[in-house]
Amino acid sequence: MGTLAHSVKVGSTLFSGALICFATQLRANTADSALIGVNQGTISFEVATNVPALRVHGKSSALTARARVDSGADGFVLEQIEAAVPVRSLETGLALRDDHMRKYIFTTAEGEIPDVRFSSERAECPKSGSARRATCSVTGALAIRGASRPFVMMLTITEENGSIRASGHGVVKLSTYGIDQPSQLGVRTTDEVKLKLELTARRSSPQGAIGSVAAR
Amino acid sequence: MIRLGYTNCAACHVAPQGGGLLNDYGRGIDQAQSLRGGEYEPADDGLFRSISANGRIRQDLRFVMQQQTRWNGQAASTAMRGRVLYRAVAALSSNLRFAGTVTGENESAARPSLSYEPPATPSHVFVNTALLHYRAGNALEIAVGRDQLPAGINIPDLGVFIKSRNRLGYYDAPAQIKAVWAGDRFQVMPFVYGSAGNEIRGERERGAGSLAEFDVLGNHRTVLGATIQHSSAGNGDRRLTGGYARVGFGKWGILAEHDITNRFRGTTSQAFRQDASYAQVFWAARDWLVTSATGERLRVDAPFREHLTAGKVEIATRFTSHATLTLGTRVEHNAATGRIATSLAVQFALKTVD
Repeated sequence: MGTLAHSVKVGSTLFSGALICFATQLRANTADSALIGVNQGTISFEVATNVPALRVHGKSSALTARARVDSGADGFVLEQIEAAVPVRSLETGLALRDDHMRKYIFTTAEGEIPDVRFSSERAECPKSGSARRATCSVTGALAIRGASRPFVMMLTITEENGSIRASGHGVVKLSTYGIDQPSQLGVRTTDEVKLKLELTARRSSPQGAIGSVAAR
Repeated sequence: MIRLGYTNCAACHVAPQGGGLLNDYGRGIDQAQSLRGGEYEPADDGLFRSISANGRIRQDLRFVMQQQTRWNGQAASTAMRGRVLYRAVAALSSNLRFAGTVTGENESAARPSLSYEPPATPSHVFVNTALLHYRAGNALEIAVGRDQLPAGINIPDLGVFIKSRNRLGYYDAPAQIKAVWAGDRFQVMPFVYGSAGNEIRGERERGAGSLAEFDVLGNHRTVLGATIQHSSAGNGDRRLTGGYARVGFGKWGILAEHDITNRFRGTTSQAFRQDASYAQVFWAARDWLVTSATGERLRVDAPFREHLTAGKVEIATRFTSHATLTLGTRVEHNAATGRIATSLAVQFALKTVD
């Protein structure tokens, strides 16, 4: 096989300049390699409280991510994984609660609110059962308030009809970052926060040299 | 509140059944969901300490003014209703409290007067709630006294078919013993009850029932529940079976309920069935601005045949935690007569917050 290009359609962009996906050389006869970027992925979180009737949910659809993806018969190899979400895009459905979240969780001692970032050098995701589905554990670093700590995420990648879909989940402990559990009028969240992310990149023009990136 | 991840009322209300006074956290959420917003600071001055018996009595005064104009195709009528509610909860010990609500009003709002279901007798001064609560543990509470019976989606509008046709009106406060058993993903509310004392002769019911609801997806946003109730009175019996759902999606959500009431009236020696349905889609454009669209349906079999459908659009604006303005319009179609009745309602509610 010769050179393959992967291009992905763009929805709307939140940032000036969409991430670009470049055509790349195949490393082997059985593998496609591409730098894939996503600029409107979804990340959500859920945290329990000391009140059984209440769990706090939050969500952002401004997750950006990029990684080099090699797909072959045995699965996917991901390299140079980087993902980021602007803290101001995270919403819980209640403005005051959002303010508290930014203030008590994400603001540094200097008063800055850096993006939440995840990075990992490499992950191998072997196909599991299905020819189009691969599951793996991705080990990397998650930065909150600009402080990086080790973080492990379970990732499932599905490729179907030209789309690569990735969904992942993991658990963050606030105490790992030295963050106190937020408390408001007797309601206190737990230390563990469940994270979940969803990304989709579409291959719309297999022969195109340059394409832009899509996310759903 | 299901849109924000609250599966039941216990997080914000003093009474786990919901309605009535808010706890401190509930007051914080109440204020956060107002146009003024900001943080709720519990009162802690000398005046507050003396009227609250050093914090043991939680109370408020609520004033509701409603003007409703109704057209039925032939004539128009306007009603101006004012209602004042005093609500109080007194902590008697660490696990025992008394809750009471007394309402005064200028004009009554009784349930529809039906030959098979006469309304409870209204009163200008009415004790809606007088309950002694015993907290047996974090997950279990038992209450004895008089109150409205537990209901599925538990909306405050008592004029909807699922309420007004199932003895859940303003003046229905039967004597009862009820329990609330709640876990992370479930809530069960069994109850037994007897007469409230304001029913007409032959309509004094006694019965038992239960609500049971479950957070089916475990995400605190998808609650499905079921209701059963078996009641008997001198003039007849009724058996209610219902299902309901509260589903939230962040800014919007769905409330739905369908109740089947199998009735038997001794006067006609005939059994008949009543179906009441309710579905509401709401959208919180802002924390303080909530719009909703509601559809309702009522079908009653012969010999009391009725077939009503209704639609309602409402917008509620919470200016502060003290003041809320609600505008709504409702259209009701009676399939038996072909008549369409339209109403427009404006409601302004004020309450004290300590």
